[in-house]
Amino acid sequence: MTGSRREQLLSIGLPVATAVVLAALWQAAVSLTDIREIMLPAPTAMVAKLNANLPTLLEAALVTGREALAAFALAVVAGFIVAAASSSSQLLRETIYPAIIALQLIPKVALAPLFVVILGIEAEARITFAALLSFFPVLISTASGLSNTDPNAMRLCRSLRASAWQSFWSVRVPFALPHFFYGMRISSTMAVTGVVIAEFISAKQGLGFAILSASAVSKTATVFAAIAVLCALGLGLYGAVAALERLAARWYRG
Amino acid sequence: MDTLAMGTILDPPEATAAARQFIQVRGARKVYASGDKSVEALSDVSFDVAKGEFVAILGPSGCGKSTLLMMCGGLEAVTAGVITIAGTPMTAPRASVGIMFQDPTLLPWKTVLQNVLFPARIQHLPEMEYRDRAQQLIDMVGLHGFENKRPHELSGGMRQRVAICRALLNDPDFLLMDEPFSALDAITRDEMNEVLLDIWRRYAKTALFVTHSIREAVLLADRVLMMTRRPATVVADIRIPFGRPRDMSVTEAPEFTRLCTQLRGMIERGTGQLDRRPGDGPILQPGRHGGEE
Amino acid sequence: MSAPSLTTAPAGPFTVRLRLPWRRLRPVLLPLLFIAGCLAAWQVVANLNPQSRAVLSAPSDVIGVLNKNLPLLLPHLAATARETVAGFALAAIVGMVLGAALAQWRRVQQALLPHLVLFQIVPKIALAPLFIIWFGVGPESRLLFALFLAFFAIASATTAGLSATRPDALRLCASLTASPWQTFFAVRLPFAIPSIFAGLKMGMTMALIGDIVGEFVSGQEGLGYVVMFAAAGADAALTFAALTLLCALGLTVYGVVVLAEMAAERWYGAPFVSEGFHNRKDK
Ligand SMILES: Nc1ncnc2c1ncn2[C@@H]1O[C@H](COP(=O)(O)OP(=O)(O)OP(=O)(O)O)[C@@H](O)[C@H]1O
Ligand SMILES: [Mg+2]
Repeated sequence: MTGSRREQLLSIGLPVATAVVLAALWQAAVSLTDIREIMLPAPTAMVAKLNANLPTLLEAALVTGREALAAFALAVVAGFIVAAASSSSQLLRETIYPAIIALQLIPKVALAPLFVVILGIEAEARITFAALLSFFPVLISTASGLSNTDPNAMRLCRSLRASAWQSFWSVRVPFALPHFFYGMRISSTMAVTGVVIAEFISAKQGLGFAILSASAVSKTATVFAAIAVLCALGLGLYGAVAALERLAARWYRG
Repeated sequence: MDTLAMGTILDPPEATAAARQFIQVRGARKVYASGDKSVEALSDVSFDVAKGEFVAILGPSGCGKSTLLMMCGGLEAVTAGVITIAGTPMTAPRASVGIMFQDPTLLPWKTVLQNVLFPARIQHLPEMEYRDRAQQLIDMVGLHGFENKRPHELSGGMRQRVAICRALLNDPDFLLMDEPFSALDAITRDEMNEVLLDIWRRYAKTALFVTHSIREAVLLADRVLMMTRRPATVVADIRIPFGRPRDMSVTEAPEFTRLCTQLRGMIERGTGQLDRRPGDGPILQPGRHGGEE
Repeated sequence: MSAPSLTTAPAGPFTVRLRLPWRRLRPVLLPLLFIAGCLAAWQVVANLNPQSRAVLSAPSDVIGVLNKNLPLLLPHLAATARETVAGFALAAIVGMVLGAALAQWRRVQQALLPHLVLFQIVPKIALAPLFIIWFGVGPESRLLFALFLAFFAIASATTAGLSATRPDALRLCASLTASPWQTFFAVRLPFAIPSIFAGLKMGMTMALIGDIVGEFVSGQEGLGYVVMFAAAGADAALTFAALTLLCALGLTVYGVVVLAEMAAERWYGAPFVSEGFHNRKDK
């Protein structure tokens, strides 16, 4: 009815309106006061810079995106395997799992310079570092999903005399899928973050490098433009994972 | 004096018109708008409940019984018609109306005693006075010794007892109960029915009680209202010929079994037609109009 | 007061002492043994292979550096701790207040929540250089960046927790004629405590990350700066020494949040078991 149509419109309209109003206020603040462009460029200036530098920015985005994707893929595969292994026996679970939780709590970003020292300033260092960052979310949420299977479903498997391998793939994995995808979504963000941090430290290309070098010479509008491209990249990766999750959900809900 | 005596004593039958029409439901209609389509849950419901009367509502699943109850409690607005309690239209919840939901709805971090005292805390009632009353109610439903347990340490039936105590704490004039025992097993359910009969023996309250169990309705109620499929109306209003005080022994009466069978037949035929026999009491058949979907 | 029940009296001290240890200690000892094993393997590899020792150092070297250079490292530790904790504390206040406001007013939530979620997803870390442009290379800039990173996790978890109160509990409050404030403090807040603390824990981690990245970029002081400086100078032992201190700091501040959570649960009478309060599926 009209009431719910109105709600639908509001739920899209209000956030968009908020964004537009904020951008307008920002634009007005910049043009009415004498804030220097170094401090805060107007949205229009940013769009102009984005337009002007689009080819270079896209090239940088390609580099960053490729590395983030590689790191993400590595993290997902490794995270799933370690989760499956650590939830396969109680001994392994009790031994490894708390250590993993502890590792999750410590600030792993601080390891970035170490990766550069050990692996050099090439892509491998950045990919490995980003993979390490994004490995933990997949691992932890998959492991918790795999170890919280519905006990009745496990009993069913046992009564059918299913092998461990069968019950793993046909019951525990499907039950753990929502957790797995939740971990993947967080990981996708961490992968991009990891590559950018590594690029801050050592890179001659990529969006992190573009942001840092533009900020070093106070080209703030360019910094903003690069951040916008990076956000688009992060959202793209996240969106891809979310889409995959939808597909999987449709499959296992039948 | 015993604080439990705070309960109102059942008014004699020769009560005034105001007492006979303690609750008035007149042409109550409810349309839910969800998404692009709307659902008419209740089309035209009218009935009265006298003070001190226990009225059970029977009807097919999804016909709008919960909706009707929530409207009586002021938790849902009527689309058309009016519901008045003690002469005032019910537009918002009142402290004098107690509600028992299908689930006990206990707050998991509070103890049994704290859960029972929750209404006192919300309504700023004197804590000390109500603490004694809460203790008495807890003793009455047989939960003595469990005052400081938390809900997860109780069984389902025990949790429902806590919910009963909470609903009775501030001595409401009127109790609304929405299938309070439907999640319980048959034996626990009988136990809870006994608890309710005991409460009604001590201090009769006005009550609307939704149930799916014909037996429970006949056992507990003074009248049974029968509702149709959605969009619902009241098709029959059956007086239960058993007096009070009442206990589980009425279930053994042949009359009891016959009444249950008749009601079951009525539900199966989906009409309000009852094979009428002397002593069955009057059957009201409110006219129906509307009913478009 | 009722007499203590006899059934809960403990068994004789000997049975308790002799039976408990392995079963009880296993979950603690196993991971500790695992970590000790890893450290030992690291030491062995370093001893056998001097090349790897130059790059990876060894636990004994790290301890040596910590012993010798602790007075030099402590001011950096203090700087990192100060900025992280202050940034987190401010983020907690701002985030919880804003989160509560979003949960209380539906229209505000509709207008702002999508942006909050969006900011959760995008790699905010990339804004570190902007904070340097805006606030300089001093501690304020890092503090604000830590605040910025921590804020979103806390605000969105608070909103989510406060908006996810069981509908039955809300109906109960309505039927008791509770005011919005009463409903908030009696039901919505206690139900949201686990979610709020999940946000606070996440926020604490993010604040520390923000501060470290800020130190990487501004390069003035703090353990992040030491790590960077030591790594650039190929001083593996010093790098690991700073990393060790960072880990200790991370675990400590996280532990403080966990303690606060336990205190809050005690205050409200947790454990927050939700059994017996099944959310009825609304048809
Ligand atoms: N909030 C709502 N929005 C839309 N439709 C609703 C809502 N609540 C109930 N309905 C619809 O109204 C009708 C009556 O619902 P109600 O819960 O009152 O039935 P009921 O008689 O209590 O059923 P049951 O015996 O299964 O508890 C149902 O068809 C339901 O789909
Ligand atoms: Mg119902």
